[in-house]
Amino acid sequence: MSAILETRRFRDFDWLLTLLATGIVFFGTWQIHNAQPLENYWKKQLIGLAVSLVALFAISFTDYRKLVHFAPAFYLFGLVLLVIVLIPGIGIRINGQQCWIRMPVVGQFQPSEFVKIPTVLMLAYYYGKPRSGVLGWMEIAVGVGILALPIGLILLEPDAGQVITYLPLLAVVLFLSSVRMWLVLATLALSVVMIPAAYVVGVKTGKIKNYQQQRIQAILEPEKADRRGYGYQTYQSILSVGKGGVAGTGGGSTEYSQSRLKFLPEPHSDFIFAVTAERTGFVGSILLLIAYAVLLSRLLMGARRAPDRAGMLVIMAIVGGLAFQIFINVGMALGLLPVIGVPLPMMSAGLSSVLATFIAIGFAVSVQLRRFVN
Amino acid sequence: MKFHDESQNLRVRLRIIQVIVLVLLAVLGVRLYFLQVVHGAYYAERAENQRVRLLPIPAQRGTIFDRNGRILVDSRPIYNVILSREEMQGKDFGSLVAPLSYALALDPELLRDRFNELKSQPAFESIIIKQNATMADIQWVEARQAFDHPELRIEQQPQRRYPENGVLAHVLGYVAEVNPKQLEREEYKAKGLKPGDIIGQEGLEATYDNYLRGRDGYRKVIVDSRGRIQDEIEKVLPQPGQDIVTTIDVDLQEMAEEQLRNSPSGRGVIISVDPRNGEILAMASAPTFDPNLFSQRISTKAGRAEYAALIKDPKRPLYNRAIRGRYPPGSTWKIPMAVAGLEQGQIRTENSGLVCGGGITVGNKFTRCMGHHGTPPLTTAIKHSCDGYFYRLGLKMKLEGIMRMVDEFDLNKRTGVDLPHELISWTPSREFKKKFQPKAAEWGDIDTVFASFGQVYENMTPLSMLRTIAGISVGGKLFVPHLLKEVRATPAMGEPGRFDYRPAREARTFTPLDASRPNPKVVPISPENHRMVVEGMWQVVNAGGTGGAMQMAGFDVAGKTGTAQVVSLGKDVGENKDHSWFVAYAPAYNPEIASIALVENVGFGGKFAAPATKAVYEVYYRKTRPDAAPPEVAENKAAKSQVGLQ
Repeated sequence: MSAILETRRFRDFDWLLTLLATGIVFFGTWQIHNAQPLENYWKKQLIGLAVSLVALFAISFTDYRKLVHFAPAFYLFGLVLLVIVLIPGIGIRINGQQCWIRMPVVGQFQPSEFVKIPTVLMLAYYYGKPRSGVLGWMEIAVGVGILALPIGLILLEPDAGQVITYLPLLAVVLFLSSVRMWLVLATLALSVVMIPAAYVVGVKTGKIKNYQQQRIQAILEPEKADRRGYGYQTYQSILSVGKGGVAGTGGGSTEYSQSRLKFLPEPHSDFIFAVTAERTGFVGSILLLIAYAVLLSRLLMGARRAPDRAGMLVIMAIVGGLAFQIFINVGMALGLLPVIGVPLPMMSAGLSSVLATFIAIGFAVSVQLRRFVN
Repeated sequence: MKFHDESQNLRVRLRIIQVIVLVLLAVLGVRLYFLQVVHGAYYAERAENQRVRLLPIPAQRGTIFDRNGRILVDSRPIYNVILSREEMQGKDFGSLVAPLSYALALDPELLRDRFNELKSQPAFESIIIKQNATMADIQWVEARQAFDHPELRIEQQPQRRYPENGVLAHVLGYVAEVNPKQLEREEYKAKGLKPGDIIGQEGLEATYDNYLRGRDGYRKVIVDSRGRIQDEIEKVLPQPGQDIVTTIDVDLQEMAEEQLRNSPSGRGVIISVDPRNGEILAMASAPTFDPNLFSQRISTKAGRAEYAALIKDPKRPLYNRAIRGRYPPGSTWKIPMAVAGLEQGQIRTENSGLVCGGGITVGNKFTRCMGHHGTPPLTTAIKHSCDGYFYRLGLKMKLEGIMRMVDEFDLNKRTGVDLPHELISWTPSREFKKKFQPKAAEWGDIDTVFASFGQVYENMTPLSMLRTIAGISVGGKLFVPHLLKEVRATPAMGEPGRFDYRPAREARTFTPLDASRPNPKVVPISPENHRMVVEGMWQVVNAGGTGGAMQMAGFDVAGKTGTAQVVSLGKDVGENKDHSWFVAYAPAYNPEIASIALVENVGFGGKFAAPATKAVYEVYYRKTRPDAAPPEVAENKAAKSQVGLQ
């Protein structure tokens, strides 16, 4: 029985998804090397990939239902991590943000990347029971509460970029938990009105800082933006992308690339897409976007085949989170969105980001593996 | 759907999410298409422009020599601290004032002013914040370039070096940075100047700037975002400026300056020219200034204070008295009067006598002569500077005759010397009287008397007066006085047709800046008339005349004293003493050198200006007639490397 189970597991294991994700990380590692060949980010990324693959297998061969069952415990543990990172001396402060914890072997890790997973599990735990009928106000309020706790703690770091990546998790879960359609539409309509209004109020009251305003102005009026000030990053990113042209700068030396000459900031992490676009051109960048599309579609397919509501919600929250993060990061690199420090999943250098993404994919695989089991 | 679901159309909601995800990715794809495929070339060019930079290599400015090949002005390399805007990266200029002024010993006010100026110039790439950096400055900048102050760097630049003690300062002028107002003017735009370029601002440096200024070279380099050079793509060497040989003889110049410096007032002018061609051998204006102030120290606090003191100095050291000072010429005016009186037929060589009378009464006003000379001939009238004679000559010539003389000798025009800012003299005319005395605007005989002896209606620049005297000395040929002997050629650089090709720049000699004026202007003077005036001037020096102090053994000097009243008689003491004039040329009947000397507020012409001229002529005589020179004064000055630097 156990042997049969093992063979079935290997046969049903989603190799395509895993290979695709691994392939993107390899491609990303090449770009990290292009961006900063003299630093060892790319080596660290390969080590990170190995660790992440182990995690992916471990999670996928674990029954996700057990994990969802213990979701409140994981969730609590996550919140504790977010509190620990705020304690001076344990949390490391970089550029005014205290969002890293130093670890003995791994180096440093970013709890806010990982806590997304217990948050997703907690949401699935709460909304995953079989439903009959539409979502009530109380239920919505509990979901908001589940999200509000980690977000509140992350805002204390403060890391506004990470906070934004939490929002689609709840949005997707609520949407799929039969929230009333008119409520969805009303929310959309309201945000169309409220976001510009909030911006104006924020500017007036000084809540939105000057550099944040300038970053937003750089998007609204890129030609007028101060290219030596806060519009600099957006301008340099657009320049790097455009410079790539159709085929990119080719396989030759990267010696005088935008990133090597340090015109492009954070080329190995936040602006890895601009590096990719400069190096591989339209061909390479569009292939990367297609790879993301295939990966997300594959996850969506898994969600449709999920054996229960909780599994479906776990996968879809992951899809929402990944898609949103890809859009924010690439949109920023292409000058469509203001500069927000969000890593590009599987591409940006950083153990925390890759590991968190692979754990999430591991959950998705685990859900699929149990599609025939009941 | 694997599990049983009764809630609102879950399948549709999943589909909606899928569509949203794909639409978002498609939006990114479309944007990518526009940036890379449609506008790729545009961005590639922009990226190229920001990583490729042209670094100018300043060209060496031409050297200025004296007529005997001695260096007057040259350039030597110095190090400047440069601030590059590219590296400011949002840093506030204000925050730099305190640390930079402290570390580099700069005046914070000056630095702040400079930064404020820059705000109105959005396009600036880099500026000099400290010239002539010391070793300590260079070390300070280099130590902080990497982190604290990436906006700073050190650049080498040739710097102009002028003779010390202000020797020849007014003639040489000086260089300085082109100023914003100049950059707005067409003639400067046409030269392709940009902020920070060094150009000639005064004197010969300004007049011949186009020749002296070299063509800057450049390095085309790849830089990173901090402007640090990664690689060099192309290099064009600078083409040095053309050297200039002036007509100045430094030995004469130094003696002329020494004479003025040692005079009681320390103020005055001495100019010597070669009357045969208009070459200026010496042009001294005292007091003088140090042009190194403008080329080296003007950006320092001490330099600014020095400049302010120069501007305020009542003795006006910055002012070239030779071409901008206007003085009543006193009795030197009698020389053109004598020539014109003869040429206009009012007196004749065979019978040139006019009554002195100890003065003249016109209407009810008596104007006196300084002596009683009877009825002297012209030669005697010149020799003793008889005012009475010239009052009567003036009345015979009338205002019209005097004005014709002024016009013929170009006394009412610029001389055309190759220096900027030359002023025009004031000469007698009815209009001048109207302006001068609006209450008694009519020209009367008394005015003609006044106009005849150089005290009231004439205010002459020394150079225009000298041009007339020199012209008379050679029988009526008025050359344009000039300082340029030769502009030397510069060979071509690079290969013809290639990017680094710089064509050769040709040699040239002096041509008047105003080509429409004849050079020389010929004023007809008959030989007899000429001989008579020269005879009178020879007697001034050699036959017991007013210029006896000028007499030199073996050198026939002709001259004329002048004593120009500054205030009315009786008050002429102390600061208000008369101006002392002396005009001369030698040898009297075959002149090689003509001079004018003016010493302000010292008194009688024969007493101060004549000996000063003599000292200059002695130097000239020793140089041109070394065999005749007494051995004890034949000192060898040729060993000097540069004027004033020994």
